[in-house]
Amino acid sequence: MSSRWGWTAVAFVTAVLFLLPVIWMVGTSFRPPLEYVSTSIALVPGAPTLAHYRTLIDDGILGKVLNSLIVAVGSTGLALAAGFPAAYALARLRLPARLDIVFLLFVLLIKLSPPIVLAIPLYQVLRAFGLLDTLAGLIFVYQVYSLPFAIWMLLGFVRDVPLAYEEAAMVDGAGLARRLVTVVLPIMLPGLISTAVFLMILSWNEFLYALLFIQTPSKFTLPTYIATLITEDETFWGKLAAIGFLASLPILAVVGVVQRGLTRGFAGGLK
Amino acid sequence: MLLTPALLLFAALTLYPLARGILLSFFVTDYGFAGARFIGLENYADLLGDRFFRRASWNTIAFTLLATAGEVGLGLMLALMVNRRFPGRWIVIPSLVAPFVLSTMVVTAIWRAWFHFDFGFLNNVLRAVALPPVEWLFDPDIALLSIVLVDVWQTTPLTFLILLAGLQAIPLEVYEAARLDGASPRRMFLDMILPLLMPHIFLAALLRSIDSFKIFDKVYALTGGGPGNATETLSMYVYRLGFRFFDIGLASAAAVVMILIAGALAAVYAARIIKGADHV
Repeated sequence: MSSRWGWTAVAFVTAVLFLLPVIWMVGTSFRPPLEYVSTSIALVPGAPTLAHYRTLIDDGILGKVLNSLIVAVGSTGLALAAGFPAAYALARLRLPARLDIVFLLFVLLIKLSPPIVLAIPLYQVLRAFGLLDTLAGLIFVYQVYSLPFAIWMLLGFVRDVPLAYEEAAMVDGAGLARRLVTVVLPIMLPGLISTAVFLMILSWNEFLYALLFIQTPSKFTLPTYIATLITEDETFWGKLAAIGFLASLPILAVVGVVQRGLTRGFAGGLK
Repeated sequence: MLLTPALLLFAALTLYPLARGILLSFFVTDYGFAGARFIGLENYADLLGDRFFRRASWNTIAFTLLATAGEVGLGLMLALMVNRRFPGRWIVIPSLVAPFVLSTMVVTAIWRAWFHFDFGFLNNVLRAVALPPVEWLFDPDIALLSIVLVDVWQTTPLTFLILLAGLQAIPLEVYEAARLDGASPRRMFLDMILPLLMPHIFLAALLRSIDSFKIFDKVYALTGGGPGNATETLSMYVYRLGFRFFDIGLASAAAVVMILIAGALAAVYAARIIKGADHV
């Protein structure tokens, strides 16, 4: 039995070591500035303060949160709207010349290639459409990765919908659009929701395209705003920690709520 | 017909930019094709001769190998650790996964503070145990390793989850049979668990190397590619040439080289999916 307790101790120490940076972040977000410019290794602030959170609100952090939300909801909505019909077609319809395989392999190549390689031509495309430095432009550009992700994930969920249900609806005279809305969508609703959650996280955290295609500070999303704080020479640790904690809260909440469903998707290589 | 919206988006956002990027790589230009001069393969020749490109390639390879090895090795150790019953397991597993759900910029912010020479947590710990402090981000020999450390912390949870799933897929009878045969834990691990786990280890390594190859944001925010160009990766190189120096032709050529490498990795991945060895 003693080896069992030894094992437990090792596991707990490892878990705490892994969490240490996160614990540090939460502690620092409540720490007065004088305390973090020190050589102490204490994790819990001596005199907790909400000053950093107040500074963030004065800096217009809520505007950045709103930008991030608009882009996340917009790009998720667009990816689902275009991805669901595509996934259905790929799963159910007979396509000529193995178009489905070609399409899926191309999607895979894009999904796996580095975002920077498309950045230069995308910049020029956005400029041509007058979408540079707009949130709408960002929503479109995020489809480069959101749409393939949506299609791959939804494909599996469409395949799980029993064909018999659709055939029954067809016998009753329901057309394609009607079948999709009344039969297929309701059955795969859980799958649709977990896909949406992943898409939201994907664009909530996206950095490179937001950095390259948005220039006006008032249109920054959270990651680009955080980056401006990191690269400045002055140490804004308290502010950084506070914003880091805030930016993580929605994701931690979501992960906590739908933990089971997420594991499958995470293991599928979201990042 | 159902594919139309998706195809339109793909055409505008990937096919056309991809073709345009490849075409641009054969020109000298600081913007588009207006005023551009066709120079054939000269950009590619220039890349070969550019020591910054060679350094960036080397940094990318070193980072990919070190990060992948670290993440798979540590992930395997963690997976073996929790692959047995012990009290509190339900809270240990989410703790080990937590770093993975944080956004990269948040992760980078934390570690930028931890790496601070005078007041960073890491050097404070070193001083507390009477060891000399380290120039984590400003020593050319260490900076890349520091970025590897951050990446390992953030993404080991992914390899951990993949390998844990693999371990749990091994039927209990396998363990029992081995125990009946009197196999030592070490023999059991080397002769049975490891071979059965191999496909999962391979998948984890493949996913991580594909992803490490792209690294940009951690480098951008932690070191900006420095000191000197000791941590400049290929993504940073394309960014610097394209968006700082506006040498669009040369940057596009470097991007094409990256697509070719990514394509080779993608092909290995696709082959595995088609073989039906893995899901997703």
